[in-house]
Amino acid sequence: MAERPPAKASPDRPARRRARPARAGREGAAGYLFLSPWILGIVLLTLGPMLASLYLSFTDYNLFDQPEWVGLDNYAAMFADERWRGSVRVTLVYVLLSVPAKLALALAVAMLLARRRRGEGFYRSAFYAPSLLGASVSLALVWRALFMQDGAVDRTLSSVGIELGGWVGNPDYALLVLVVLAIWQFGAPMVIFLAGLKEVPQELYEAADVDGAGRWRKFWSVTVPMISPVIFFNLLLETVNAFQVFTASYVVSNATGGPADSTLFYTLYLYFQGFTDFRMGYASAMAWMLVAGVGLVTLLLFRLSRAWVYYAGEDGR
Amino acid sequence: MVGTRGRGRRVAAAAAVLALVAAGCGGGADDGTVELRYAWWGNADRAELTQQAIDLFEEQHPNISVTPTFQEWDAYWQRLNTDAAGGGLPDVMHMDYMYLREYADRGLLLDLNEQVGENLDVSGTLDAFADVGTVDGARYAVPIGGNTFTMVYIPEEFEAAGVEVPEDGWTWDDYDAAIEQVSESSGEIYGGHDYGTLIWVLELQLRQEGGELFTEDGGLGVDAARLAEFWSHMQPLRDSGAIVPTSEAVEVQPLATIGAGLSASEFNWDNQLARFTGETDRELALAPVPTSDPDNLGQYLKPSMMYAAFSRTEHPAEAAMLIDFMTNSPEVAQIFGGSRGIPANTAQREGAEYNEVDQAILDYEDAIFDQLTVPPPAPPAGAGSLEGEFIRLGETVGLGEATPEEAAQEFIAYAEQTLGS
Repeated sequence: MAERPPAKASPDRPARRRARPARAGREGAAGYLFLSPWILGIVLLTLGPMLASLYLSFTDYNLFDQPEWVGLDNYAAMFADERWRGSVRVTLVYVLLSVPAKLALALAVAMLLARRRRGEGFYRSAFYAPSLLGASVSLALVWRALFMQDGAVDRTLSSVGIELGGWVGNPDYALLVLVVLAIWQFGAPMVIFLAGLKEVPQELYEAADVDGAGRWRKFWSVTVPMISPVIFFNLLLETVNAFQVFTASYVVSNATGGPADSTLFYTLYLYFQGFTDFRMGYASAMAWMLVAGVGLVTLLLFRLSRAWVYYAGEDGR
Repeated sequence: MVGTRGRGRRVAAAAAVLALVAAGCGGGADDGTVELRYAWWGNADRAELTQQAIDLFEEQHPNISVTPTFQEWDAYWQRLNTDAAGGGLPDVMHMDYMYLREYADRGLLLDLNEQVGENLDVSGTLDAFADVGTVDGARYAVPIGGNTFTMVYIPEEFEAAGVEVPEDGWTWDDYDAAIEQVSESSGEIYGGHDYGTLIWVLELQLRQEGGELFTEDGGLGVDAARLAEFWSHMQPLRDSGAIVPTSEAVEVQPLATIGAGLSASEFNWDNQLARFTGETDRELALAPVPTSDPDNLGQYLKPSMMYAAFSRTEHPAEAAMLIDFMTNSPEVAQIFGGSRGIPANTAQREGAEYNEVDQAILDYEDAIFDQLTVPPPAPPAGAGSLEGEFIRLGETVGLGEATPEEAAQEFIAYAEQTLGS
């Protein structure tokens, strides 16, 4: 552009040329003005605090006294902190159990709902409803009541001879209560799967029929490869979300992460360190460790995705 | 098409709006009224009563306007700590004994001695409470009410089991035998609860043995061995079914085990009777705690809550007036009754109208009043977070996820890290 000789061609060109920079400048300003709420938001409410927490993560800071530089001490302390290691374990178990189960259920229900039938809209809404409730406090309270001693679940199991007692107060089962809660809220990935399934060309199924493929075969050789980008998207989203779970445990465990730290999620422990014990430096370091951890997992998922998302048709996976 | 001038005007208008918003954040009354911010912990019921008391105060002081805010206990301290870190506390706030020294040490509280004799009268404070608001000679807080430790129990269950109603001077062995018998005879309700989560019961036992929970130089007054013994003591009671299993107690939280109908007795502060009465239909009564030394209950009258003012308040005189009114006016006592602890001021203690529950608490306190000692000095800075850690470790032991020895080591380590930091 810059090397072109100035205006010779059509008569309107020079005018436009002169106008463009000024106009672009003005429009740019207007654009930034319209963007300003968002820019202010991200700078003041996200970027600023993030940088501050990065700095604080290298300090000993209790909210009251001036932050004191301690270098990498906070990061080193994590590995010596038994409760921190426990919270990492609890979070990983939660992610590994809840994400695959949730996606499998979401896909299964999406496949049932993908076929045209009467009341389609109703069923979709009904299955999506739990997700609308999200991480609400009242929902977690209901969940707690269901899984308590003499709650609905305990009574049902007792009636068929399985005496487990209350799940909420038992360190061996308490985490499962939260996993089941997460799986039950499969609506969001289900809707995305539904959209993905509608995109699979019918000809492929017809061709598979001609080749004599059974249902199972069609599922693995047609459906899964064709919607693999959608599966990947859901997997990524749900994994990242699962790492950040907070409210469910906060409410179900009555703001303790108990019993005996069995539902002490990473975020919950971070919150306790920051806002109960006022170890803001340590909490900040924990937050950045979580960012690094989730980043690493995301990277790993992306790397692995090369093997199954784009070339999936070949080996049937 | 919008002309440049039009756009310019809009930008100016937007800027003006922003400026107004900014000004609005600053706030400030310029009609001569003094605005006091007043923060306290509690629930909606207490909010209604508090508003009544504030209305009364504003009637008598037309030039002062009070803006109250409140949160539940946990949220209140998170908020107050965050505010303190930001350098701006409310002018007047409720203070707890466990946090008093920490706030005082950080220079956040106003020395109210400057106002005594002018805007604040503390002469009516109970003798036992003469020094509770004082740290290193400065008066940082004025007590609102007091409470003491007790065993809340269901008399019907104890009578049905043929257990004598506990009276003054019973021992911990008597207590163990009593709850075992109640459990056994009832078959439905547990006699007692797992008090291994209550740091206050440990404090009582230490005091009965002549010790203290906190040493004079602000350390922990218990070693790992004694703490492990405290937690080990619960195991046989757990095995024999005398106390509520931890897993069941955890599930009914935030209800207390006695409130949830799980246990026939529960240790707690006596002002909690009001809460338990709201949770259960059973008739409840108060009994003195067991003791290892008949001449020493180990109990003291503890300030249930106190008033404090911010050291950098712009209106120290008005803040003191509010505190003076709230702690001396018999009308205020009539509004609150015993719901904030039995009043710590003699005029209010006598002037209050008590409901049945408050009266029961007052009778209980009066019965053992002579044996109550002066409160120990304000706990060291950092003590506030020990209570939660004690609950967590007590539960962990109760669930069998840690041995008493392991938990004791962990608590001592935590206390060393937290106290005085």
